[in-house]
Amino acid sequence: MTLIRCAALAALALLGSAAGARPVAASTSRELFEAGNNAYELGRFDEAATAYEKILGYGVSDPRVLYNLANSYFKQGKLGAAILHYERALRLDPSDRDARDNLEFARGMIRDRVTESEVPYPVKVVQDVLDGLSANLVGAVFLLLYCAAGGLVGVLVLARGHAGRRALGYCAAAAGFLALVAGGALAYKIEQITAARAIVMEEKVDVLSGPAADNTVLFTVHEGTRLEVRNRRDGWYQVSLPNAMSGWVPSGAVEQV
Amino acid sequence: MRRTRALDRGRPAGRVALLSIAVLTLSALRGVVPALAQDASVGAQVDRSRIDEGGQVVLTVEVSAGNLGDVAPPDVSGIVDFDIVGGPMTSSRFQWVNGRTSATKSFAYVLRPRKTGTLAIPPLGLLVGGKTYRTGSVDVEVYPAGGAGIGPRGGSPRSGQRGGPGQIGGPGQMGGPGQMGGQQRAQPPPLAAPQVTVVADVDSRTAYIGQQVTLRVVLDTQTEILNLGMKDTPTFPGFWAEEIKLPENLEMRRVQRGTDVYNEYTLMKRALFPTGSGALTIPGMTYQIQVRRRSQDPIESFFFTPTETISRRTEPITIHVQPLPAASRPPDFSGAVGNFSLNVNADRRETRVNDAIGVKVKVTGEGNLSAVSSPPLAELSDFKRYAPKVSSSSTLVGDRLRGEKSWDYVLIPLAPGSQTIPSVNFSFFDPRAGVYRTVSSAAIPIQVARGADGSVGTGGASVAQSDVRQLRKDIHFIKQAPDGLEDRSRLFYRAPLFSVLLLLPVVGDLGLFVFTRRREARQANARQRRERRARSQARRRLKEARRRMSPSTSRAFYAEVARALTEYVAAKFDTSAAGLTHDRIEELLSSRGASDEVRREFHRCLEACDYARFAPTSSGDEQMRRTLLAAEEILVRLERSLSS
Repeated sequence: MTLIRCAALAALALLGSAAGARPVAASTSRELFEAGNNAYELGRFDEAATAYEKILGYGVSDPRVLYNLANSYFKQGKLGAAILHYERALRLDPSDRDARDNLEFARGMIRDRVTESEVPYPVKVVQDVLDGLSANLVGAVFLLLYCAAGGLVGVLVLARGHAGRRALGYCAAAAGFLALVAGGALAYKIEQITAARAIVMEEKVDVLSGPAADNTVLFTVHEGTRLEVRNRRDGWYQVSLPNAMSGWVPSGAVEQV
Repeated sequence: MRRTRALDRGRPAGRVALLSIAVLTLSALRGVVPALAQDASVGAQVDRSRIDEGGQVVLTVEVSAGNLGDVAPPDVSGIVDFDIVGGPMTSSRFQWVNGRTSATKSFAYVLRPRKTGTLAIPPLGLLVGGKTYRTGSVDVEVYPAGGAGIGPRGGSPRSGQRGGPGQIGGPGQMGGPGQMGGQQRAQPPPLAAPQVTVVADVDSRTAYIGQQVTLRVVLDTQTEILNLGMKDTPTFPGFWAEEIKLPENLEMRRVQRGTDVYNEYTLMKRALFPTGSGALTIPGMTYQIQVRRRSQDPIESFFFTPTETISRRTEPITIHVQPLPAASRPPDFSGAVGNFSLNVNADRRETRVNDAIGVKVKVTGEGNLSAVSSPPLAELSDFKRYAPKVSSSSTLVGDRLRGEKSWDYVLIPLAPGSQTIPSVNFSFFDPRAGVYRTVSSAAIPIQVARGADGSVGTGGASVAQSDVRQLRKDIHFIKQAPDGLEDRSRLFYRAPLFSVLLLLPVVGDLGLFVFTRRREARQANARQRRERRARSQARRRLKEARRRMSPSTSRAFYAEVARALTEYVAAKFDTSAAGLTHDRIEELLSSRGASDEVRREFHRCLEACDYARFAPTSSGDEQMRRTLLAAEEILVRLERSLSS
């Protein structure tokens, strides 16, 4: 009993601390956003990009700011920066169709054509559904189901009647199963968010066989291509393409999503 | 100008027949002469290499070979700097000279430049006998309007024509100017030569661009003509030429010139439309004429037909072409020169939404309409308009070309109500009056009822639908944030609360489990204690009963014995003694495996106690001692059987 009481108290305390920590630069960031949008509409894309960057500097990572920033970079012809920020916007709001479309459109303009590995159709459907949901939503659903299953187990422990215990057992098992599915989905989302990806920011980058300039050039990638970062070592990233080609690039030539 | 008399005068009818036979023979031979192993030669030329911006140029693509067969018009899709406003006009020529055949086919197009500068007509491909031949490219210099004169003809030279006829007859003698107007006449040699002249003439020496000039080539003869042919395909640089068909049998007319009577044949008629301004020249044309030769030898004259081929060349004719006046030119003027009328007709005046109506816009009149390109019906908002079907035809009335061009529109009414097809304007230049004229049609009212299914708006089954085409792609527009911005980078699963909530059910359930286990354990302990104490408690009660074993307290004695027994069972089975009936005791005892005998004893003992307690007389000491002993005995046996 004392344990439960302690846990409940701790939870309450954490809730309070989470609610209290909010940035206070809201008014200025909103003004900057308006200014950026106005500059964009007038075709002054560099000015718009500066305004949006400033908002991000305040620590307000709103997906709409990232999306608009990506658009500004795209209009300036900075394909790498545009793709980077579309990716970032999608990490925060994977349900944004505009960002998805624009990312696809921008990807169609990069020089490297990298064929992604084929995913079977049912898996693709599940992926598409999950890609449209935010990690927070999936996390909340998982937590709800998990707590429901836990609560039902608790009631089951306390319950006495034979028939009642049976019904409770089924309910708890169902909730547990659903929680397991939601947990899998959450794991997928976390993997997607934490996957170390980088976008090539320079027009042309040589991928070397080792983390030093005197290594052999294995292949060349161009601005906007997405790489998986597998390893880091003083100023160098070990990167790989979806088709398993890999090598080392200087960290300054790419930007992590 | 003197003319010698023809020595041989055949009857005109006979000569015409001979001419016809010769023509027929030539055309028949065309089919039977075997193909010679000759390559085809192709060439492209323009009538003028330098034109004004608004002018036109005639491109002639010519192919010649021993045997041509069917030749499709060249692929002109490569011509991008010019609009093709007329053509292809095809003409073919066939020659049979000294056993060698040669066929020539030409395709003429009227081109209008799209811009100024040096424009190139790219090489054009022609499929001849399964092989593709390419012409050379031709350059045309286009000057801004009014800035340039008329240049010499033909940009690139024509590719060499093979199988050209040899010079059969003697060279034609050039005569002086003709007697009438500007006629130029080829004069026969002064002596011993047959009296044959070929004269080219036009109806007017001045014209506007696009105005018809009629060319007529006339042969005057006093001798019998056996055969007739042209040396080269006639070309009319700077003109769009329409052939005026002549009757199959050339018509003869007798003409009197001074004292001489000639037979006159019209050899060629062409309606020529100047395509550029300046002094344009119709080049001279050479005719090869086979005539009967007069022979001194009567035997030769009797057995043979002595013939002679002579050559006659017409004089070039210069025509002064004026540009169309730039002033007061209507904005919708599209190049029509002549005299035209406009007629606009709808096939019905009443229709329903989505029911198509046909509208025919027809321009008819004297002049060349092939160059008129812009459809005159404007886009209508309440009608869906399909691209019109354009048809044009030209006929000759007398020597004048009459054009008729029509645009057949299909209009689909989109909204009900009183609609109007607005008036259509057509502008042309009247060369006779030298002014631009605009003719207009009346507006046509159309009453549109609701559709058959009551539909009032657009759409419906009868509208031919097509997929929406994506013209261009661009990124989606930027987003607004009417409800303010928020930091979305904080992820719930990373918050400590998430971990706490994750732990909470585990910890809670564990706690509950431990709690219930402990409670159960406590309850089990209490039961065991009571069971353990059951026998000693029963013994204490029996001891108490022994103390009361006297007749005066017999009732209390029996009550104590019965209580010891029932309390013992109640304690053993962790239940309340108050609710224990005999049957319930029986049930409980049998459930724990007590033997029938013990149970019977138990039952008897309890019954004896009850009987003694409620009997009116008190029982004796002996009976009480037996009951006590029995009770003790039962307890010992029960204890043994219940704990085993």
